[in-house]
Amino acid sequence: MMMRHGLAMAAIAALMATTAAAETTLRRSGDLGFGGAENLDPISPTRFYEANDLIYNRLVSWGPDGLPAPELAKSWSASPDAMEWTLVLQDGVKFHDGSDFDATDVKYSLERIKDPALESPVTSVLNMIDRVEVVDPLTAKIVLSSAHADLPLLFLDYRVRMIPDGSGATIATTGIGTGPFKLETLDPEGTTVLLANDDYWQGRPKVDRVEIISIPDQEARIQALLGGQLDYSDLNGDQVATFEGNEDFVIQHYPSGDWQGLVMRTDTAPFTDARVRKALRMVVNRQEMADLVVGPGGGTPSCDHPVWAGDSYRSAIECGADIEGAKALLAEAGYADGIDIDVHTSDLEAGMVRMVEVYQQQAAPAGIRVNIVMAAPDGFWSDVWMVEPFVSTSWGQRPADQILNEAYRSGSSWNESYFADAEFDSLLDQARAELDLTKRTALYHAAQAALWERGGSLIPYHINGVRAVRAVVKGMPEAGEDYIAWHLVEKTGD
Amino acid sequence: MSIALETPNAAARPHRLAWLRDMVGRRSGAIGLAIVLAHVVLALVSPWIAPYDPVAQDVTSMLVAPGAEHWLGTDKLGRDVFTRTLLGGREALLITALASIIAMIWGGLLGMMLGLVGGRIDEWVMRVVDALLSIPWILTLLLFVTILGTGTVVLIFILGFSYGLTVIRIARAAALDIVTKDFVLAAQARGHDRWTIVNRELMPNVRDSLAVEAAMNWSWMLLGFSSLSFLGFGVAPPTPDWGLMISDSRGIMATAPWTVVAPMVALASLIIGINLAADALAKALGIDRSQKAPL
Repeated sequence: MMMRHGLAMAAIAALMATTAAAETTLRRSGDLGFGGAENLDPISPTRFYEANDLIYNRLVSWGPDGLPAPELAKSWSASPDAMEWTLVLQDGVKFHDGSDFDATDVKYSLERIKDPALESPVTSVLNMIDRVEVVDPLTAKIVLSSAHADLPLLFLDYRVRMIPDGSGATIATTGIGTGPFKLETLDPEGTTVLLANDDYWQGRPKVDRVEIISIPDQEARIQALLGGQLDYSDLNGDQVATFEGNEDFVIQHYPSGDWQGLVMRTDTAPFTDARVRKALRMVVNRQEMADLVVGPGGGTPSCDHPVWAGDSYRSAIECGADIEGAKALLAEAGYADGIDIDVHTSDLEAGMVRMVEVYQQQAAPAGIRVNIVMAAPDGFWSDVWMVEPFVSTSWGQRPADQILNEAYRSGSSWNESYFADAEFDSLLDQARAELDLTKRTALYHAAQAALWERGGSLIPYHINGVRAVRAVVKGMPEAGEDYIAWHLVEKTGD
Repeated sequence: MSIALETPNAAARPHRLAWLRDMVGRRSGAIGLAIVLAHVVLALVSPWIAPYDPVAQDVTSMLVAPGAEHWLGTDKLGRDVFTRTLLGGREALLITALASIIAMIWGGLLGMMLGLVGGRIDEWVMRVVDALLSIPWILTLLLFVTILGTGTVVLIFILGFSYGLTVIRIARAAALDIVTKDFVLAAQARGHDRWTIVNRELMPNVRDSLAVEAAMNWSWMLLGFSSLSFLGFGVAPPTPDWGLMISDSRGIMATAPWTVVAPMVALASLIIGINLAADALAKALGIDRSQKAPL
């Protein structure tokens, strides 16, 4: 009898232990923006950034002050002429396959970005790196072909991730990194499963699994969040009310350099004429557009400069809606009777279509007749963006030097407006090489002024981020995803 | 000695519009017709009676609840929902009405011709039609829209073609009942060509079935068109359209239900009205709709 009782107790104890150790799963969404072509190569044009963020580490991470903070690089220093940078790496870091992370991996990961065959959008960001030398296993020296005074800022790029030496041919499917989670199953069109990396160098993650569920439609993502199928999601202004007063969710507001905008191909008529481009941009009442599209307080107006308000290199251009000025420019360019344009957009992200609707109304008084052309959300980035002459666009926050080079330098693979301006390129070159902060700042300001005068991007505002997080999720800071330390995120219930 | 031949339209109707009197005499028919007529009239006169500009945005009155100034409130861009709902059926009604006519003409003629010709051609064509009909209708529409793009003319032809497939079946089945009748055989014996036989002998006898089919097809087409708009492939924004309005505001259904309820009620009432009218029409014409192939 005693023995039977003992067995029962043991069974109950085992059951309780099982319950206590129940697996916790964090569920997030993927937007399927590349129509299923997403892969785990961090520098691929169709990178699966929702997964890569959790699988790989960067050399540096965003510090709370917006400056680089140590991640895989423990410290860094530059030569006096900023032509050589030396990185000291973290000790004891291992890849998911058990191999050690060292300077040879840094050399491989950074030099691989320059491979033209990969057509990586990051190439233009780091094209000043001539070579990387392995000083010792924990020290890498980066030799530049032209000076760069802010090189560590470029390592904040969400795609500059460290992968094992020689893994380029397989990394797209293996996803071997040093990050807090490792790949279990890859299914960009369905559910991708990641498991906690027990040996993570910053400590074991507090959730056991992460599921990345592909939901291309923003409204559907919100419904999935309300239904408990996701644990958090970004919101737009008018979706906030859905979650207000709901104790199951916490709403987070945070400043960001993300933006949605409209972009013209400067290599395609009628947008080859800088006067037409400026006229199409100067009709916008940016504050009103922000209020209508992302809600009051949801956006910080921008005068088409991609550098956000939190970046010290942002210039102070002022711009109001100038209908008469736009009419005059259009007349000068041969469009005295106004101009007809097609704007291609999609319901891929909240606010994208609405921005075009607002633009249509704001542009009409200047004789700009906008025809809205809808495209399917899945595959938008592959089939419409950088293909059609005038399209919706969306960018994540980047430091000034990076965004100016990546999105506007001649020949850059994500130069979405096909902007080719020798004077602009020269300003960027000079800024990178300029060691005096005041002079460097002036050069970046001049580059932003050039974009206002001649650029093809309409950037009406930067989005102030809003996110709804289920109350059971803890450890998620009120900041953009780039700032999240994923190993510290935990779930206290399901 | 005289030979009694069947003659077409043997049971001639007492009056050309007797079916209409019968239809209106039925409660469902009267209600259905009233709803459809109301929608058609509103669609015609709405540009003159709408209180606001349907595309005018107002940053000072976004998502205003229904009240004296905006009877059905405003949407996310401060546009008057009542105005947009009034105007929101114009594109749908016009496009689907024209597409219905196209579907009836090509589907009806091809169906009757197949019933008359029969044989291997009939067999092959019907298998192709069956294969196309086995694809869910929304997929068929999306396929065409993806290939051909959107736009009013394209949508009319896409809907007209897609929904014409069901008409082929109905017209062919109705024609098969008739082609063995004496008056058709007599016409063939007289040496009439097939077009004349279709036009003079089959058409008058298939017309009733096609009329009911047209009404039913119209309601399905409205649903199909609104679904395309909902998915972003119908009317382009900012044109007021019920499907587009529902799609645009579905994310705020819980906090601003008026933005979704108004277009939903408008669309649902029109489809219900057409269905009630079609049902009464079938009864008035003596057609048993339960015997017809599902649409």
